[in-house]
Amino acid sequence: MIRRYFAALDIPLLFLILIIILIGIITLFSASSGSLTLIGSQLNNVLIGLLLLIFLANNHLQKIIYYAPYLYAFGLIALILVNVVGFTSHGAQRWINLGFVNFQPSELMKIALPLFISWIYHHQKNKNTYKIHFLAMFAIFLPCFLIIKQPDLGTAIMISFSGLIIIFLAGLSWRFILGSLFIGLVSIPIIWSSLYTYQQNRVLTLLAPFKDPLGSGYHTIQSMIAIGSGGSFGKGWANGTQANLSFLPETTTDFIFAVYAEEFGFIGILFIFILYFLALYRIFYLATKMQNTFSRLVTISLGIAIFINIIVNIGMISGIMPIVGIPLPFFSYGGTSMVVSLASIGIIMGLYSNKTLIAN
Amino acid sequence: MRLKIIFGFVAFCLLLLLIRLFYLQIIQYDLYHGLSNKNSIKIVPLPPNRGIIFDRNQEILAQNYLSYTLELNKHTKINIEETKNKLANIIEITNNDINNYKEQLRKYHFYDTAPIKFNLSLVQITKFISQQHQFPELSIKQGFVRHYPLGHSSAHIIGYINRINHQDIKKLKQRKVLGRYLGTNHIGKSGVELYYEDIIHGTPGYKKIEVDADQEIVRVLKIVPPISGKNISLTIDSKLQKIAEDAFKKRKGALVAINPNNGEILAYVSQPTFNPRLFTNGIKQTDWDNLNNKLNKPLLDRVLSGLYPPGSTLKPFVALAALENNIRTPPFSIQDHGSYTMPNGSKTFNDWKEGGHGTVDLIKAITVSCDTFFYGLGVELGIPKLNKTLRRFGFGKKTQIDIHNERSGLLANEYWKKKRFNQPWYQGETAITAIGQGFTLVTPIQLALATAKLAKPDITFKPHVLLSIENTIDTNQNKYGKGIANTVENSKYLDWVKEGMQNVTRDGGTAAFIGKNANYKMAAKTGTAQVFGLKKNQSYDEQSLPDHLKDHALFIAYAPIENPKLAIAVIVENGGHGGSIAGPIAKKVFDAYLEKEIRKND
Repeated sequence: MIRRYFAALDIPLLFLILIIILIGIITLFSASSGSLTLIGSQLNNVLIGLLLLIFLANNHLQKIIYYAPYLYAFGLIALILVNVVGFTSHGAQRWINLGFVNFQPSELMKIALPLFISWIYHHQKNKNTYKIHFLAMFAIFLPCFLIIKQPDLGTAIMISFSGLIIIFLAGLSWRFILGSLFIGLVSIPIIWSSLYTYQQNRVLTLLAPFKDPLGSGYHTIQSMIAIGSGGSFGKGWANGTQANLSFLPETTTDFIFAVYAEEFGFIGILFIFILYFLALYRIFYLATKMQNTFSRLVTISLGIAIFINIIVNIGMISGIMPIVGIPLPFFSYGGTSMVVSLASIGIIMGLYSNKTLIAN
Repeated sequence: MRLKIIFGFVAFCLLLLLIRLFYLQIIQYDLYHGLSNKNSIKIVPLPPNRGIIFDRNQEILAQNYLSYTLELNKHTKINIEETKNKLANIIEITNNDINNYKEQLRKYHFYDTAPIKFNLSLVQITKFISQQHQFPELSIKQGFVRHYPLGHSSAHIIGYINRINHQDIKKLKQRKVLGRYLGTNHIGKSGVELYYEDIIHGTPGYKKIEVDADQEIVRVLKIVPPISGKNISLTIDSKLQKIAEDAFKKRKGALVAINPNNGEILAYVSQPTFNPRLFTNGIKQTDWDNLNNKLNKPLLDRVLSGLYPPGSTLKPFVALAALENNIRTPPFSIQDHGSYTMPNGSKTFNDWKEGGHGTVDLIKAITVSCDTFFYGLGVELGIPKLNKTLRRFGFGKKTQIDIHNERSGLLANEYWKKKRFNQPWYQGETAITAIGQGFTLVTPIQLALATAKLAKPDITFKPHVLLSIENTIDTNQNKYGKGIANTVENSKYLDWVKEGMQNVTRDGGTAAFIGKNANYKMAAKTGTAQVFGLKKNQSYDEQSLPDHLKDHALFIAYAPIENPKLAIAVIVENGGHGGSIAGPIAKKVFDAYLEKEIRKND
């Protein structure tokens, strides 16, 4: 019985991700100055995430395709609700209090949107019509607009990116892509002027962090100091001065990787990068083995979402991307991120294990 | 195909990130390692204790006591008024304190914090500490405050310390010793505090601490304790010093008492004086103006910087110059009728005594301070030969005593006058130079040294005030001040001059009353120096002149004559007649010192 549940899991991918989670928890111990409460809470998050993963991996694909539009609609409604009844934290209105957990609709949209876009393409026989492409783009635009309103620019960019990847994979013509890129570049000044001042500041800070070392550049500088001072082999576990003497902000969530870099050095970073690379590779490999468009599109889209999380988070802490509050998948402390990331993997595994079913 | 493009993009991005991290962690490691240490590791300098200054009898002249000050961080932008009001119930800050704080910040150099309230009481400290979280800009600093137990007494020789100002910083940088002053707020500014600064300052230590982002100390990584400055002892005898100062009875002037055998300065008086404590925490502008604007200039170290016409105290040295050039050798004598006329008849100079002194030889000329004798002597001897001898006694040049700001006095001559006034030298000026009334200017220390050289011609010591440095292995007590060439020869000429000086304190001498009731024999010379030249037909009337135009009274002496133990030079500004005003002051010092010496030898 139990064995049957595990048969659906892709062991290499699960193994890679569990190692990353383990390293994350080890780092969390140091980053939280040994807070067992936080460790326990994170273990709880992992447990919920894994259960969800196993559940999704064993689910029938048709059900997912069937639920995709409803999930998307639900996500949209939740996003509208968040703008009305959501509560504000850290200057952004992102959460809805469900009583037992604080729910962040934009996180749900990370999965719902790729599913829905893939669903659109899956149900169209003549995939290359511009009408479909525009429909897909509108489906991306709606939630992104609501998320930007929260405001949460980072998440909006990520979600739109994972959606656009699907459109790209679905066969959008190169001419159209290059044209949009051109329009995008031209419209940068317009987008710039529509950004909030703090968002503009973040971008500026990125360009010249040392200009205002105690102001908006402070977090970036402290994070770069933490990473740089780690050197080749790091300062040793729980010995990071930047982390333990509270020079680093948000050590358990957004900046946890800086703690890791400080304590384990470049060797540690190399190790984690290999793990992430292999995990992503495995996801792409699984995608190529899938028989139908929907599965492939969803898998790649979810893989790309994880990938973007990694790039944006590490790019942010190493000072080459603006500071946007995005956690590192499988690594940062936090329930939503962990559960959603593991759920994504569960969906991928579910799509893979049911590939034969689709083929028929 | 498109899948491969996307994965290629993924791999490329990961590689870029990896390169970025490689750059930060490997290429720029040194930079960030340094920044990380700068973040979390702070070096706190531990200033050394300043050496204690003792007198020759281990009386404390300058010491330190522990004091607590409330200090305001100069980097924080705060509203002082607000802080003041918030502090009202804990430590009262007056407007005066605030003005003083601002003034100090402007004038002196501070590292991080500057004091706003001094000498906190235990109650104030306790109250403040319990409320400290409200005042991140304020802190209590513990430090040593310089204390001068004698107050005004001996202020010029001990000197004072002051807050380090911007110029001091510049100088310390030039000397490449700024590192020795980390955490130190004060530096010697005058007297011994200045001259022996390098010995008594000490070497700072430091504390290496780890701090967190709130600058709270996490742990101490390393402590290198400071090395205290060395304690030093001075040659002066503070009791003798006090006797001498009291003897001045508020008059202005200077006294130097020197041991002619080894150059040790036993008393060093410059009156009026000041309280060195005024400087300790940065002198207030009002106090500073007060000290400087006073007509009697209390800050002036008259011993080294006071320039006085020597008057008749120069006569013994002038006499020696004549003898060395075979002029006026006894038994040569003149008939003094009370005046001297220049050989060319151009001018007549009067003796101080109307009607003159009758038959006068060189010895008697010193004893009765016969002006007539010296007018003729000077004119015949000439300035070059006179100055040559005077220079050997130390006039016209610095004595190189171990205190700064010494002036070299003046031995005037033809060239000097040409350069200074663009005027020729008149022979009449030679005549008055011979009685110490010309352009010649001396400092009290020069006069004392010259007297010591008369008493002990073979002296090879500079005058000095440092007796010993604590924990210095060299036990040669006489090391300090050693090293000047013997410039005066013991000769029969000297005996004649000394005989004249011994007779000064005997019946018929200008200070005969000084010699009475003394248990020892003293050789002396009185002097009265005019402060301004009387016009023709104007007579000197001490009663009618304003104080600051009255004559300076001078007196030089050594005793006992058989085996000189002390040489003294006294100048009382506007004191009138030398023998009657300056002489008794010297007498008191001799009495006190020699009686003790005699007792010691018994």
